[in-house]
Parts: sequence; structure tokens; C-alpha cells
Amino acid sequence: MRHDRLVLTLIWRELSAGLRSMRRRDLVWIVAGGGALLAYAIADIVVALHAVSATLRQAQALWAVGLPGVLLCLGGFAGSAIARLCLSRAFAPFLKALPLSLMERRRMAAVAACALGVPLAFIAAAAVGLGCFVIAKPLAPAWGLGAVMLFGAGFGAAAVLRLRSARDLVLSDSADPVSDPGGRKPWLGAFDRSTPAWLSSWAWDLPAGRVRLSWRLAGAAILFGLAAVVAGSISLARHDAVPAAMAGLTGGLLVFMLSARFHPLGSPVLRTAPLGFVRAWLRLARLPLQLSLAFFLLPAGAALAAEPSAWAMPLASGFWLLALNGAYAVFAAYFMTAPFVAALTFLSAIAYASYETLEYGRTVLIGFAALVLFLWHQAQRRYRHG
Amino acid sequence: MDSSIDPAEILAVRGLSAGYAGRAVVSGIDLSLDRGDILGLLGANGSGKSTLLRAITGQIRPLGGTVAIDGADLVRAPERAKSGFGLAVDPFDLPAALSGRQYLQLVASIRGCAEDDWPGVDVTDRLGLNRWIERPIAEYSLGTRAKIAIAAALLGTPPLLILDESLNGLDPLAAFEVKRIILALASNGRHAVIISTHVVEAVPGLCNRAILLADGRMARAWHARQLAEAGQMPGAFEAEVMQALAVQAADG
Repeated sequence: MRHDRLVLTLIWRELSAGLRSMRRRDLVWIVAGGGALLAYAIADIVVALHAVSATLRQAQALWAVGLPGVLLCLGGFAGSAIARLCLSRAFAPFLKALPLSLMERRRMAAVAACALGVPLAFIAAAAVGLGCFVIAKPLAPAWGLGAVMLFGAGFGAAAVLRLRSARDLVLSDSADPVSDPGGRKPWLGAFDRSTPAWLSSWAWDLPAGRVRLSWRLAGAAILFGLAAVVAGSISLARHDAVPAAMAGLTGGLLVFMLSARFHPLGSPVLRTAPLGFVRAWLRLARLPLQLSLAFFLLPAGAALAAEPSAWAMPLASGFWLLALNGAYAVFAAYFMTAPFVAALTFLSAIAYASYETLEYGRTVLIGFAALVLFLWHQAQRRYRHG
Repeated sequence: MDSSIDPAEILAVRGLSAGYAGRAVVSGIDLSLDRGDILGLLGANGSGKSTLLRAITGQIRPLGGTVAIDGADLVRAPERAKSGFGLAVDPFDLPAALSGRQYLQLVASIRGCAEDDWPGVDVTDRLGLNRWIERPIAEYSLGTRAKIAIAAALLGTPPLLILDESLNGLDPLAAFEVKRIILALASNGRHAVIISTHVVEAVPGLCNRAILLADGRMARAWHARQLAEAGQMPGAFEAEVMQALAVQAADG
């Protein structure tokens, strides 16, 4: 079909237009700085792999379960995200009016997803193959080929699932827009009224401030509630504050990451208003922070009850939670229209900083803090000057 | 406030250059607007009207020159400068999830005024917004979005009102009401208005000043007397604008 490459062409045009709109100086910084960082990271990983090559070669569980599982999961995540991206372009507003059936749109998205998936699979294969080569694992090319197959299997399965479950957004968007008579009170009225009013409803895309109950929301609430209760019970049973304090910290951070949205910072509504960046940023972080702390309180209380003498542990968890939430809020403000990218970058930065901390001590944390300050400065500059 | 600043001057643009990715789209713009002025901003597509308004409203950083609104420099005191104008935001930039009332409450809370603090009139009533006000903006037509954007820009009665092609999508009754509100605002001598528009024939009847942008520069300016004279003869002002555009196209 002559339309098949349309989504791929659109994505390519968006990418090239984005690159062309950047200043050369910024591009040079990204290419040179990113390239240097990547080279350092690769060299560091090669050295680390060399150091533990004997152990890695004999770790049967790693080769039998760990690596295949990771490759399948990575492929699955990538397939789902890329299929979603391609579907969104297949139903782009200016394409909605064209006489393209749901099947044709799915096919356009599938072609684009395949084209984007091939280089990703190649990168996964190259990484695994080179890793095997570095640690002198026999049959390194075969492991690379296996990595392609596993990554491809995860990618393909997730992408097909996502593409098959796509509804016809042309029909569903135009279906009876006035079925809801309106006038009902917004659910978040009591929490979202402070200046600037309704900012969180806007950030969360709640239609007229009303929370839509969904299986996904209910499932997440049950999962987090269950995790808090289980961690608290373990702490109480063992008279040990650690499980509940750790659950409070990680769960609180996850709640914040899942609920923090900062896209209004890019809107002319805020940028042309007499409202400073800090005030807007703090206001957008407020409700997610309240949710995060609400989750934290149950496990932290259980930790305190389980081991009253270790009161410093839940307190320290609370401080760490605040610090990490603040750091993530900076990442999310910088990647304001791409929360998934913000979360991925934040977790990667945390993981890398933790890994380097093992080698160089806590001075690495200064590097992480410098990164947070840099992103804060950039987000503030973009809010003020576009 | 600087004592050298004319208290009647609401907008002072000096040697302004602005654009994207370091490339100037408008350059060498000098513009002064006094209270009571209604400025018509004209120009072909891509002439730099929206870029100029983005620079004046602080959405892009000027590459050169200065912008001061009600005596406050836009770069040095952005919040004070931004409290001096109300911008009718592009319909597609409105927060689609919020209802019209929530959007008005959002803007009012930032400006520190009541959600119905308009200049002597109930704008939602005058623009026929009442039946839409509780519904999400996502369900609004282009014209209804333009109406809510104008209503929000008027909240708190800022000294400078900026409408970037906001009149284009309005129905005739709403356009008539907005023009009445604009004329009433300017006539009290405390406010000024900038209207960017392609409806050239509407300019002599509504504005007391006009400028034509071409290739990012001010190609022609009309003052109150010139506009009044041009407005007396039907089609005279349009002919002047078309002639100026044709000259620019030939020179370009």
C-alpha cells in the first residue's frame, strides 16, 4: 500500500525538524558531551566486566533465566512504547479526516514500529555479543543472535498486543461529545483550589476536574495498599523497622513518579502570566507530594511501632523520600511532556550514581546534585524564555 | 519605576529583534503604545506578527533590544511586566481538560482577582459563554475557545490587552461585543490594546493606530489622523495596505 510508510515518514520528519530547530551550539554540546559520557560509560562497563568475568561466565542462573528475562522485558517495554508512539501518529489530528480504515492505520503503525524496532534489536544484540566477547564467553555471536531473538520476541509480542487493542480513535473521539450534561462538582475541589487554582486537574488531564474511575487506577491503589500492608506486617512480625521503612521510601517515590505531571509549565497560559517558575513548579509538585507522603505514613508508622528504638530509620527514609521526590520533580519539569523519559532518565541516573558510588564513594552524589541543578536551571530558562 | 518613563506609555519596545534558534524573524522593531491606543498589527502570513507578540509577552527571549510594559522591563522584572498585560491565548494552547469556569478561576487566582472581575461588563454573558462555562474546553468549538481566551485576558482589567488573531474565529455578535468592550476600554484612557488581525477592513473603524509588518520589519505605520482619513472612503485603507504589501513583495 502506498500509505504504509506514512507514519514512519511523519516520525522521521518530526525528528529532523526537532534537530533543525536546535541551536548548533546546543547540538555540539549534546553530541560531544553525550558522546564523551557514552564512551566513558562503555569503558567503565568493559573494565567492570573484565574484573568479574570469571564469575559471570559461570553464573548459570544469569545465562539461563536472568539475561533472557531482561531481554524479553526490555523488548516488551520498547515494543509497547514504540507501538503507542506510532499509533498516536496514525491517528494524528490532520490524518483523522483522511479515508483510512482502522486496519490501514494499524498497518502504517506496524510498519513504523518494525522499522524502529530493527535498530533497537541490533543495539541489544551488539551489547550482549560484545559483553560476551569481553568476558570471553564461548559462542559470543550466538549469544548476540539469541539476544536479537529474545528482544525481538518481547518487542513483537508487546507491539502486536498494543496495535491489536487500538480502538478507532477517529470514531471514539467524535462520539457524542455532549453526553455528560456537566455541572457536577469536581472531585479535587478541596485539594486543587489554592493558587493557581485547578493546576493539578490540568496536569492530570481530568475532564473538568473529575477523576475517572478505571480498572488501572483501582488496580494501582490496591497494589500500593497491599504493598504497604505486607511491608508493615513483616516489620511488625520481625520487630524490624527496615522492611517497612524501605517500602515506605520506594513506594512513596513510585507514587510521586506516577502522579507528577509538569506539562503545564510549557503552556503560554502560565508562561505569559505573572507567575514565577518556582511557584508554578512547587504548585504542580504539591498534590503528588501529598499522595506520596500519604502512602509513606502507613509503612513508616509500622516501622516505628515495630522497632521504636530505631526511630531514626523511618525519619531518614522520610528525608530521603523528600530529597528524591524533589530530584524527580526537577527531571519531570525538564522532560515536561515526556514523563516516561523523565522516569527512565531519573532511574538511570540514580542507578549509575549508585554504581559509581561503590567505586568512588559518596562524592559521586555531588555529580548527581550538579545534574539536578543543571536540569533545574534549564527548565527555568525554558519556562522564562522559551 | 524609572522617573524618565512616560506614565502614559504602556508599552515601550526599543530595537527589538526576536526569533527562534538564534535566527531573527523580526528585527529593528521600535514601538511605543500609550494609554488609550488601539493598535492594529497587520502583515502577511509569516511576516512576524505572532513572533513579535511572543517576544512582547515573554514567550521567547529577545535576541536584541528591550521590552517594557507599564514601566517594567520584561527580562529584568518578568512577573511585574507580565502583570501589565492580558493575552488571549491561542485557542489550541488552552488547558483542554479544564472547564471554562475552571480556566477563568485559574487565571483569576494568578492575577489575584475575582473570576468575574471584568471591566464593567459580564463578559461570559456578553459573549454567550454561559451554556458552555461548566463544560471541558476540549468540547468547545474554535470560536468558543477564542471567546473564553478573550474573557480570561480581560480578567483583572490589565492595562494592556493583546489579541493575536483572536477576533478571526468569533461569530458576528461576539466579534461586535468584543469590539465594543475594546473601544470602551480604550476610551477611558487607562488601557491600550494590540490586535493582530488579517481583517484589514476592520482596522480603521476599531484602531487609532496601525502598523504593517513585512519580512520581520515595520514596513508602514498609520497614525490616528491617517486612519480616520482612510476610514472615510470605503476600501481606501485596504487599498493602501495592499499597495504596501505589493511594494514589499516587489522589493523582496
